[in-house]
Amino acid sequence: MINLLSALALVVVCVTTMLIAFHGLRLSRTTSDFYVASRTVRPWWNASAIGGEYLSAASFLGVAGLIVLSGQSGLWFPIGYTAGYLMLLLFVAAPLRRSQAYTIPDFAQIRFEESKSLRKITTYLVVVICWLYIVPQMHGAALTLSIATGLPGWLGPVIVAAVVCITVVSGGMRSVTFVQAFQYWFKLAALVIPTIFLLIQVIPEQSSTARLESIATQLEAVAGLNLYETISIILALLFGTLGLPHVLVRFYTNPTGQAARSTTVIVLGLLSVFYLLPTTLGVLGLLYTPQLGGSAESDATVLLLPSAVLDGFLGDALTAIVVGGAFAAFLSTTSGLVVSLAGALSQEFFAGTVRGFRISTVLATALPVFIAVVTSSLALAGAIGNVFAFTASTICPLLLLGIWWRSLTARGAIAGMLAGAIACGLSLIVSSLLSEVDALWFHMLRQPAAWSVPLAFVVMIAVSRATARSIPSNTDRIMARLHVPDRDSVF
Amino acid sequence: MKRDSPEAPLPGRFAEQRPQRVRVQAPQDASLTIATAKPEHTAQEFYVQQLIRSQLRLACAVAAGLLTMLVGISALLAFWPAVYEFALWHIPLPWWILGVGIYPLIIVAGMLFNGAAARNEKRYRSISRD
Repeated sequence: MINLLSALALVVVCVTTMLIAFHGLRLSRTTSDFYVASRTVRPWWNASAIGGEYLSAASFLGVAGLIVLSGQSGLWFPIGYTAGYLMLLLFVAAPLRRSQAYTIPDFAQIRFEESKSLRKITTYLVVVICWLYIVPQMHGAALTLSIATGLPGWLGPVIVAAVVCITVVSGGMRSVTFVQAFQYWFKLAALVIPTIFLLIQVIPEQSSTARLESIATQLEAVAGLNLYETISIILALLFGTLGLPHVLVRFYTNPTGQAARSTTVIVLGLLSVFYLLPTTLGVLGLLYTPQLGGSAESDATVLLLPSAVLDGFLGDALTAIVVGGAFAAFLSTTSGLVVSLAGALSQEFFAGTVRGFRISTVLATALPVFIAVVTSSLALAGAIGNVFAFTASTICPLLLLGIWWRSLTARGAIAGMLAGAIACGLSLIVSSLLSEVDALWFHMLRQPAAWSVPLAFVVMIAVSRATARSIPSNTDRIMARLHVPDRDSVF
Repeated sequence: MKRDSPEAPLPGRFAEQRPQRVRVQAPQDASLTIATAKPEHTAQEFYVQQLIRSQLRLACAVAAGLLTMLVGISALLAFWPAVYEFALWHIPLPWWILGVGIYPLIIVAGMLFNGAAARNEKRYRSISRD
C-alpha cells in the first residue's frame, strides 16, 4: 500500500531542495564560490547550515531507534555528537579557518608543503570516511521509503543520490549553504510538530500513567552497553567530530577565526535543542512501540510512532511530516559529504577545476548507492559511531597535533594515521565477522576507539620525535598563521 | 577625608604627587599590519608562542573538564545503581541527566571558552602590535 501523504512529502522535500539549489546557481561564479561560498556566509546562516548538514540519518532516526534498542545507552550518542562539537570549538575551529585551506588534504599540504605522500594518504582517508558515512544515509533512505510508502527499498538511495547530484553539480557550496540552513529548520520542525501532537495525546491519557509506571522497570530491563563500551563510544564521538570532512569544510565559509568560533557556539545550541526531540520520541517509543526493540526495524521508531499513537488522518499526516524530515536529513548530510568528497577527488585527480568537481560529484554518489543496495543496514547510530571511531583514529590526531604541536613531522603524521586506520579498521571488520561474545576482548574489538585513538597519537608523536630533523623550516610561520588573530576584514 | 588633612600618612601624599596614569595604546589604524606573515623578530616569535600556549592550556582545561564529567557520570551510573531510585514523573534521574541536563553544561562551556579565547587574542594583540 502506498501512503499518498508520505509520498507527497517526499516529493515536496526533494523539489524544494532542488529549487533552492537553482536559486543559488545564479549567485555562484568562480571555483572559490563553488567550494566555500566565497567565505561570506554569516554566523547564523552558517550555524544553521552546519546543523543541517550534521544532523544525519543517525540523528534523525538513529537516536530514537537506539534508545528503543538499548535503552539508556542510546542517550550517550546525542551527547557525544554535541560534545564533539565542543571539542571542535576548543581545538580546531578558529585555527583551521585561519589556515585558509579548503579541505583536510589542503590543510596537510599547508602544514607540510613538500610531503606529497601525506597529502595523498589524507585524501584517501577522507574519501573512505565520506563513503563510510554516506552508506548509512542510503540505508536510512531505503528503510524510510519502504516503511513509509511501501515502494521497494532500493529506490530510496537512488532518489537521494539523484537529488544530491543535481543540487551539488548545479550550485556547489553556495547553494548547498542555503539548502543546508533551510534543512536544519525543516528537520527541527519535522520532529517538533509530531512530538507536540504525540505529547498532547499521550499526557492526558489515563493509560499513560499506567504505562509510565511500567516504564521504570522497562527502562532498566533493556540491555545496554557496559562501562568500557560507553567510554569508548564517548571518546569516539568526542574526537571523531573533529575530523569529519563535511563538517570541517563548513568552517572555511566563516569570514574570520573569531566568526568560526561564534558559529560553533551557535551550533552547540542548535544541536542541543534538536536532540531533545529524538530523545523524547525514543522514550515514547519505549512506551508505545517496545516491540521494535527486538526487531531490525528499531530505526523506524520515529516513523512508526505517530500512527501507533494516533489513528486516521492525523497519524498519516504526522508520519508524512516525519518522512519529509528524514529525507531532508539524508539529503543534507549526503550533499555535504559529497561536496567534500568531490572536492578532495577533483583536487587530487582533476586539478581542482569546476568540470572536474562535477565529474567527481557523480563518482562520489554512485559507489555508495551501489554499496547500500547490496548490503543490509545495521543500527544507524551504531554504524555512524563506527565511522566516528575511524575518524578519531586517523584525521583527528593529524589535525590536533598539526595545529598545536610544532614538532610534528610529515612521516610521523603518516605513520600515526596508518596505525590508527589499520588498528581501528581491522578490529571493526574482525568484530563484525565474529559472533557476539560477552568478553572484554570482544568489546575492545567492537568499540576500538578507547585504545586505537591513543595508539594513533602515540605512534604519531613517537615517529615525529624519531624524525625530528625533518621538521619543516617554515613551521613557525605556519603556526603563527594558524593562531594569530586575523584582522576583521574579509580576505 | 584623611587625605585632605595635613598630617595624612606619607603614602597618601605621594600618591597625590604621582603623575596621572596614562594608558599607552597603539592606534586602531588599519594600516598597521600585524606581523602575521613572518614574525622576524624573536620577540614576536615569543609572543606567538605565548599565545599558542595560552590557547592550548585553555582548550585542554575545558576538554579535561568535559571528559571528566562524561566519564565520571558513566562510571557513577555503572557503580551506583541506587541513583535509579530517584525519579521525576516515573522517569529515573539518570535519564534526566543524560537526556536533558548535560546539554546546557556543554553550551555554557562553549560560551565561556569562546570569551576566554577571544581575551587571549586581545591580550596578544595589545602587546604585539608595535
